[in-house]
Amino acid sequence: MSAPNCLRCLLQLRPSVAVPRYVASRSTAAASAIPIASAWTAPFSTTTARDAKKKDKSGGGTHIRAGKKIKLGKFKKNTTADRGKAPAPGERKAYRKKILLSNNNALPVPGLADLSAEDMLNPKNAATVLSIPDAVVDQLRASEAFKPTQCWGVFRKPSVLLRSETIDLMTRMKGAAKQKQTLRLVVTGDRITGKSMLLLQAMTHAFLNDWIVVNIPEGQELTTACTEYAAIPGSDPVRYMQQNYVLKLIQAIRKANEKVFSKLSTVHSHPELPQHIPVGSPLMQLANSAKEADNAWMIFQALWQELTARGRPPLLFALDGLAHVMKVSDYRSPAFELIHSHDLALVRLFVESLSGAGAFPNGGAILAATSRGNSPRTPTMELALAQREAEQAKDAAADVPQPDPFFRGYDERVQAALRTVQVLKLSGITKLEARVLMEYWAASGILRTTVDETAVSEKWTLGGNGVVGEMERAALLTMRL
Amino acid sequence: MAALRQNITGALRGSCPGARLQWQTLDQQFHALRLGSGSGSSSSSITAAARSSSASASTSRCMSTDTHNDNSDSSSQTGFRSITAAPETAIRIVSHARPVPVSPSYFSRQPIFNDSYLTLQKLMRSYGNLPVVPAGQVERVAWNTLEDIRQTLGEQVKASDYAKCIELVKRLHAIHPTLKPEAVTEALQAFKRNVQPFSNVPNPIVVDKFGRALGVGRRKVSVARAWVVEGTGEVQVNGKSLADAFGRVHDRESAVWPLRATSRVDKYNVWALVEGGGTTGQAEALTLAIAKALMAHEPALKPALRRAGCVTRDPRRVERKKHGRVKARKMPTWVKR
Repeated sequence: MSAPNCLRCLLQLRPSVAVPRYVASRSTAAASAIPIASAWTAPFSTTTARDAKKKDKSGGGTHIRAGKKIKLGKFKKNTTADRGKAPAPGERKAYRKKILLSNNNALPVPGLADLSAEDMLNPKNAATVLSIPDAVVDQLRASEAFKPTQCWGVFRKPSVLLRSETIDLMTRMKGAAKQKQTLRLVVTGDRITGKSMLLLQAMTHAFLNDWIVVNIPEGQELTTACTEYAAIPGSDPVRYMQQNYVLKLIQAIRKANEKVFSKLSTVHSHPELPQHIPVGSPLMQLANSAKEADNAWMIFQALWQELTARGRPPLLFALDGLAHVMKVSDYRSPAFELIHSHDLALVRLFVESLSGAGAFPNGGAILAATSRGNSPRTPTMELALAQREAEQAKDAAADVPQPDPFFRGYDERVQAALRTVQVLKLSGITKLEARVLMEYWAASGILRTTVDETAVSEKWTLGGNGVVGEMERAALLTMRL
Repeated sequence: MAALRQNITGALRGSCPGARLQWQTLDQQFHALRLGSGSGSSSSSITAAARSSSASASTSRCMSTDTHNDNSDSSSQTGFRSITAAPETAIRIVSHARPVPVSPSYFSRQPIFNDSYLTLQKLMRSYGNLPVVPAGQVERVAWNTLEDIRQTLGEQVKASDYAKCIELVKRLHAIHPTLKPEAVTEALQAFKRNVQPFSNVPNPIVVDKFGRALGVGRRKVSVARAWVVEGTGEVQVNGKSLADAFGRVHDRESAVWPLRATSRVDKYNVWALVEGGGTTGQAEALTLAIAKALMAHEPALKPALRRAGCVTRDPRRVERKKHGRVKARKMPTWVKR
């Protein structure tokens, strides 16, 4: 049997005040059995708003708990329930894709220096955390180098850990640019080992050294049939352009490379363009002329011609999610046959550059990063990267993996594209780098333990022998209060 | 000299002199009976028997078989003579032989128990002065309980008697093993339980010549083998890194918990193989495996590991489904009709 008085109301009553003296003096058993509600009278009070509330008619001011209600018609939907405002179309996706680069609740890290042009080349800077200058942050944001999955949003300022692989890659990029050669390299490695972050660092280095940067943030946007495409008229074999995507790309290039473009002017006449752009007009004018998707591909070709003309700064062409552009795309030809990704004009431009067919005359780098989280199965690419990696390992040249003779899904075009690339395999960071990173976390106020050798090695082990993303998960993203 | 021979003979026959007398008497009576019933028997055989009673026992023993061969012609000559009783012999015939029980406590209520108790007392009198091992170092033995003894002997042993007896047993057991006489060991054997739980000692884990210690752990249906070597904190599970093997951070922490609880994460490398069960089971099987291997390297860590909960195997398993229920405990949904 349930008590007649609501327990919550009982707790609110203070017996010394709420129960009048005459009730308390009637100390018989019968009196104690009477529900308090029936014996309740208003005490003297000058202020309380609660006491001034309208009394319940039946219960003398105390809430009598309702018994079990039998709800009839339980299958009828309660249409009057207020569910709040539904998010506007696209709002959820915008929230999901939101990139937050700064957090005022995080502590500013004392002694955190900004990256300068030469910092990423100095081997002494291995295992240091340096912050990205604000101007470069804007450029990186314009070229969509930041990813929503990276947790920039818990720190005061975007900062990066310079690991030994970073220094190595930047040195190679610098060497290639100096000799007017093109570094063609694929960054690969396990899940969340920092492949996209390495691309970001390469872009940072390029921006700091006034390179021109062209970035395709996600390979899948080009090949999963989510953007419009059309056959390029007069091309044989038929190539396809993606005008909307290219328009967006031109705008991103323009915005990110504004500083460099403002100093450059065109060296070619472009008679095919609808807008007349004479030789010697600023490059920004050419970039700005892309206003509509209709002629975006034409303008992109003109822009590319200008960027690869002699005497330009080095060029960095980067793409993340390589597996998506190394397979047959989801687009269909007019004959309803699947189009190979390499027949898409923009992808073709990247793949030819990567394979070495279209070298940059001013030097530079073509970087691609594989992805482990979002990557379709591409046996050819996997095999090619494994082969290149084995070939580039100094000692074990004899142990190059061979194609499976009983598998016929290999793709000749992919094989050709990846025949001569370099492969940089990322794995876990060293203990020293882990320590530096954790000290940065602690200085930012989000890691609330003492950073000593024990803590570092523990997180290093929990993160699968120093996989950065896993360390982050183990240390920052798991609530441990 | 003759007396000595007689003694030896008696010993060979397995009887005392009194018993020999009795034996002869019975022999004679037996032959007398044969004479009375059969016709071919002769007085000479009786006389021979009478003569042989004073001779050596071996002669008298073979007499019953040799009689016919030796005295066949004499019996045919004396066949017509009347039967006469055998002449009086000088031997005193004992009519009753009282069997004496071997055990002195034969007539008590619990003879077997009393016998062993007396044996123990006797041993105690003889060897009570031998040096004993300190109390903590005595080999642990599970003795038969009072119930066991009552069951096996089938005697109603008193608890107080048992207590006294087992006290003696323990005192005798404490005699230093190098000096302990064989008799004591034999006497105590009867009091030992058939199955000795203390002798069921697991094989100690050793660190092999490569510096590896192999520990095996189980949890639910998972079995983990972990090879622990001194190192820098690298962990590989089934050829994968810890992060690849366990997606959940909690599981990773459980797996390396013995190292973490003793702050040895950066001192050892672990190479492990796990099979069976799910992720939680595998992770916690690893806990036990790593803890055991770690104890091989550093036995002094055992209390710390026990406090961290890494020493005892978790015996919980999936509860079986019962009839009349949907799962182990869940009752079927109530329906009105």
